[in-house]
Amino acid sequence: MTPEQITLVQTSYEGLGPRLPDLTARFYQELFRRDPGLRPLFTTDMAEQQVRFSLKLTQLVQAIGSLDELLVHTRALGARHVGYGVRAVDYPTVGAALLDALAAVLGDDFDAETRQAWVLAYNLMAETMLAGAAAARPVGG
Amino acid sequence: MLSAVTGTLQRWPIVGRRAELEVFERVLDSVEQKGLVIYGRAGVGKTRLADECRQQAAAAGHPTERIAGSRTAALLPLGAVAALLPRGAGWPDADGTAGIVALFEQARQFLLQRHGGRRLVTVADDMALLDAASLALLGYLAAHGTVFLIATVRTGEPVPDLVTGLWRDGLLERIDLADLSRVHLDTLLHLALGGPVEAGAEQEIWEVTAGNPMYVRELVLGGLESGALVERSGVWHLEGRLPSTSRLLDLVEQRIGQLSAEARSVVELLSLCQPVELGYLESIAPAGVLESLERAGLVMITLPDQAVRLAHPMHARVVRAAIPQSRARATLLAQASRLEAALTAQGPSGGSGPPSAATSAAAASAALRIALWRLDAGGQPDPDVLIRGAHLARYAHDFRVVRRLIEAVPGDRLDAVGALLLGEALYELGEFRDADRVLARGQQQPSTEQVALRLAVTRAKNAQWGLCEPEAALVINGAARAVITSRPLAEELIADEASVLTFSGHPDRALIVLDRITGGDRRTRVVRAIASAPALAMAGWTAQAIAAAEEGRADHAALGEELAIAHPAMHVVNLVFALTEAGRLAEAEQLARAGTETVAGSRVPVAQIFFAANLGRIATLQGRATTARRYYAEAAGLADANRFAGPRRLALSGLAVACAMLGDAAAAAQALAERAAGPPFGFREPEQHLADAWTALASGQPAEAAEWLNEAAALAAATGHRTAEAWLLHDLVRITGQDATARLLELADACDSPLVRARARHALAVRARSAPELAAAADDFEALGAMLLAAEAAAGAAEAYSRAGDPRAAAAALRRSNVLAATCEGASTPGLVHADTAVPLSGREREIVLLAAKGLASKDIAERLYLSVRTVNNHLQHAYAKLGVGSRAGLAQALGSER
Repeated sequence: MTPEQITLVQTSYEGLGPRLPDLTARFYQELFRRDPGLRPLFTTDMAEQQVRFSLKLTQLVQAIGSLDELLVHTRALGARHVGYGVRAVDYPTVGAALLDALAAVLGDDFDAETRQAWVLAYNLMAETMLAGAAAARPVGG
Repeated sequence: MLSAVTGTLQRWPIVGRRAELEVFERVLDSVEQKGLVIYGRAGVGKTRLADECRQQAAAAGHPTERIAGSRTAALLPLGAVAALLPRGAGWPDADGTAGIVALFEQARQFLLQRHGGRRLVTVADDMALLDAASLALLGYLAAHGTVFLIATVRTGEPVPDLVTGLWRDGLLERIDLADLSRVHLDTLLHLALGGPVEAGAEQEIWEVTAGNPMYVRELVLGGLESGALVERSGVWHLEGRLPSTSRLLDLVEQRIGQLSAEARSVVELLSLCQPVELGYLESIAPAGVLESLERAGLVMITLPDQAVRLAHPMHARVVRAAIPQSRARATLLAQASRLEAALTAQGPSGGSGPPSAATSAAAASAALRIALWRLDAGGQPDPDVLIRGAHLARYAHDFRVVRRLIEAVPGDRLDAVGALLLGEALYELGEFRDADRVLARGQQQPSTEQVALRLAVTRAKNAQWGLCEPEAALVINGAARAVITSRPLAEELIADEASVLTFSGHPDRALIVLDRITGGDRRTRVVRAIASAPALAMAGWTAQAIAAAEEGRADHAALGEELAIAHPAMHVVNLVFALTEAGRLAEAEQLARAGTETVAGSRVPVAQIFFAANLGRIATLQGRATTARRYYAEAAGLADANRFAGPRRLALSGLAVACAMLGDAAAAAQALAERAAGPPFGFREPEQHLADAWTALASGQPAEAAEWLNEAAALAAATGHRTAEAWLLHDLVRITGQDATARLLELADACDSPLVRARARHALAVRARSAPELAAAADDFEALGAMLLAAEAAAGAAEAYSRAGDPRAAAAALRRSNVLAATCEGASTPGLVHADTAVPLSGREREIVLLAAKGLASKDIAERLYLSVRTVNNHLQHAYAKLGVGSRAGLAQALGSER
């Protein structure tokens, strides 16, 4: 990512303002539409889940300018997701749902450049989460 | 510069491969799955992914191992997998009698014990470059669940049979690796450099590498070292220019070129002799050199075995190519001496007390590596190691390697066993004159009786099948019988004499010789079965032939792999032939097809050729002329490619017959011309003359055809080849109507074959012009699946009925003949067409007549068949003439029950 792309991700996220709950609601809607099989992985109350998700996403977006800081969050987050039953093959689905939700809520502000910046940002988060997941997962019996 | 990124470079990040790693975890958890194959282009990250899998497995407590193929390691059998063998194993006995399977089993037990029954997770990097024996061992261990295989195979390299076999059975998971997407490249750069990268740098790296991870790594490391990539205020910039070329070799060379002299000599040593013990390298290189090489990502140190390797196979290839030949030789020889000295110091039993598993494995590999280095350096390796290595290569049917290894043994050290191995390899590689020379020299060396026997048997086989000189084979066999008199070896030589006789066209003499064998050990029984099954089948004693082939197969399976003996699949070939002679055509076909699948892909061309030729022969008897032509052409091509002159002759003869049956005289003549270019071949020679006869017939020379058939039948009679004599005489009846009944009846009595019996009955019916008997002969042939012969007999019955004034029965017989002929794929033989009586309807005529008989008007028939009304009427007129009717009402009557 270029410094400009990092800025673009952060400013577009801030631009959501009070629409952040719309984003998270839309995100889960898109996620379950794309893969209904993921729904059983979420055992807690969905309202609470949405709040947790937006808090975590905010943390990640704020940390993305510093790799060391980002890794602290994503590694732990990835390790926890192993326990939830999330697999590497699920990550692209999550990314697509997030982009759909951003496009729906941001509307015209979500232009091609912003979209590309988010694609790269999500991939960076996903890959570092997966590295954390791999370290946490016991292999073979 | 380097220190700025040391932290990240110690573990170059892995990006875009997590789904693949999860596949590995899943497969490793499964008991049924035996491993994983990683396919992809050079530099795509196969080695990296395989090593990552191995590390994950190790972290979870699995025992792991790593072996790597290379162009040099491929030379010495089992050289690459020595770490999987117990000490002292890896070697069959000097004369190769100790079973290799026993060695594999020993390795399995050794690993089971060493790892407490846990699967050894084994990376086989660049697997296609492993020698055949190593592949066979890995296949054995994987199939038994002793190792879990992680193999890498580069796109474009041949995929080892082991991999395709296991993969086809669903026992291996396959992963296809592709280059990184641009998004993944961006993430990789971000992680590798530890922060954002300015747009121009990312753009340029993408353009140069197109996402190839190896290129990316070389570019980034090279850029860091040269100072082209720099960090300012937390952002990475490209200040200088990256190397202008995208060629990987240049990149690697540039990085190596910047090393200090000490570091470079370490890298060179590794490229020639890796892996090298960490302790030794520390003793020869100044402090810090290894660390800096590791930090620069050029070498990799694995701690469990304290070994150092270059980080990527590509590095080894590049560095090696740049070392002057003289220096490479000096290094290899010096390392060989060093390792040898260390081995001697350790002593043959590894000192006092039982050796640890690790030291015994190291000792086992050391002898191989020493030999390999000396061979590579053009020096003189230990001849014993070479000969033992050749045994292993021979087990894997890797005759090129056998030849290379034995030819490196100095002439005065080449004993009888070495000569046997080399002679056999030369025979298999089609160098028949050289094979004879080497084997003859081996016969002059002192040897055990057993080795002397095998030299004689192999030399006789070479004389017969390679040089096509069966008389010479008999002389070689006779000389050996004069010297080798103790049983069971003497009996094996008798069996071998019978084999020469059988396969040079003397089944009668072979059977007499075989009577001299009283009991024999298992090996003798196997050799006897190879000779006796075809001889019995040719004599027409098919039940005994079938039993002999089946016993031979069972005995061979119990015997295991041995030197100087035919491939086990040859018993199946014999069984196919015996079943065919017994008239059990469908069974023979099924077995031959199964056999073809078994030997396909393995290195047994002679079995492949014989299966294809037998399938052609079966199709010929079934009347499926086009299928016969296809199989025979395939057999001829295979025989040509593998320089089997004898089987080639059989295949081309069959091809000519099939072409002639199809009426293609030119193609038949072409096959005969090709056949004439090769030496004569006595095996089933009378049958080969069917080709001459049928080609003459197709060229419009029936008298010449009859002459060939009579002559060949006389040859068959003189050599006791009864089934061929019956075939030839029956064809004489079919083609010329000449009477051969008396002899055919004798043959039917002497044989137990229903096919021979049906031929005799047909001949008798033709002579008697008996319509019911001809119809009965058609029944016999049809029951055997010989459709063309059945169609001809039915056509003969039609003629006879017609002559007897029974047009109704004649028409019915003719219809039957047409139906049978329709399965014959376009065969057109004299027996199907009789000028003096109603000609069978053509396919089109038949189609139209059936519709007309149902009451359809010509216009409706024309519409239905997309023909003009005029064409339909023309066909109808021809059909009326042939059937002797004048109207549609007559048609209906003539077709009788068919309505």
